[in-house]
Amino acid sequence: MIEESLLTPRVLALVGQTGPTSRVTVSRKAVHRAMDVYLGHHDREFAVGDPVPGFTVVALDPDLDRLEIPDLMPDSLLISDEWSFERPLRMGDELTLESRIADISERLGGRFGYSLYARMEVVMRDHEGNVVCRSGRTMMYYDAANARDGGEE
Amino acid sequence: MTPSFESLREGDEMTPLAVTPDLMRVIRFCGLTWNFPSLFYDVDAARAQGMPGTLVPGPMKLGLICRAVEEWLGDAAYVRHVRAAHRRPDITGRPITIAGRVARLFEEDGHRRADLELVVINQDNEPSVRGFATVEFYR
Repeated sequence: MIEESLLTPRVLALVGQTGPTSRVTVSRKAVHRAMDVYLGHHDREFAVGDPVPGFTVVALDPDLDRLEIPDLMPDSLLISDEWSFERPLRMGDELTLESRIADISERLGGRFGYSLYARMEVVMRDHEGNVVCRSGRTMMYYDAANARDGGEE
Repeated sequence: MTPSFESLREGDEMTPLAVTPDLMRVIRFCGLTWNFPSLFYDVDAARAQGMPGTLVPGPMKLGLICRAVEEWLGDAAYVRHVRAAHRRPDITGRPITIAGRVARLFEEDGHRRADLELVVINQDNEPSVRGFATVEFYR
């Protein structure tokens, strides 16, 4: 059982921190790989400037230098995730990506016992600095040994 | 028929998308994101965590929700915002259905938009993901 808050000054200092900037291109290969995952094929071609499927954003992930939360608890669960687009992604887009830890909070009790919640965000900008896409993810960190069985959380 | 802002009414249902994310597709997703938690491809690791099989990654389901909305809308609109709240794990190789309905049609900042309420339903007819999207129609 956790008897002291894990939200130490060192952990709280992570909130608001940003990672290094990464540069990515919405390339033909990235679009094809995403289509293979989500459609099972890539039988459609896109010209430079054409809108591409929104799920292509997933293919940009490996190029991101993502800030990570330190391992404070043994288990983790994805609570929610989201994408927001100011405009569709387009073939040939050259984007800069920057990740940020937006929030860390704790929860006492509940089905999972003591748990930490962290929200990570990524902002993607075009070469003029305009935001094209934001993605966000909320993770819960907990100790499965202290969790109870239950239905929908 | 591809829906348009003019043809839609609040309460209209989206064409559902039925998919079965198999292990190969999940492994491709792990490769795409270069992220390899064993729960997604190692059945023994998944069973050790009390799961009946390997799991479909949550972010993969967000993309499937996005695909369902985009296929329904065709070239009429794009997904401006999509969100997934994960409620239950989905098991690799089991069918899921992504369904939704138009919650609100509105104009904002000179743009025609619609809010959609979405859900991923597992083979036991339980919601595994609650979703939400805002789409923007092209003029």
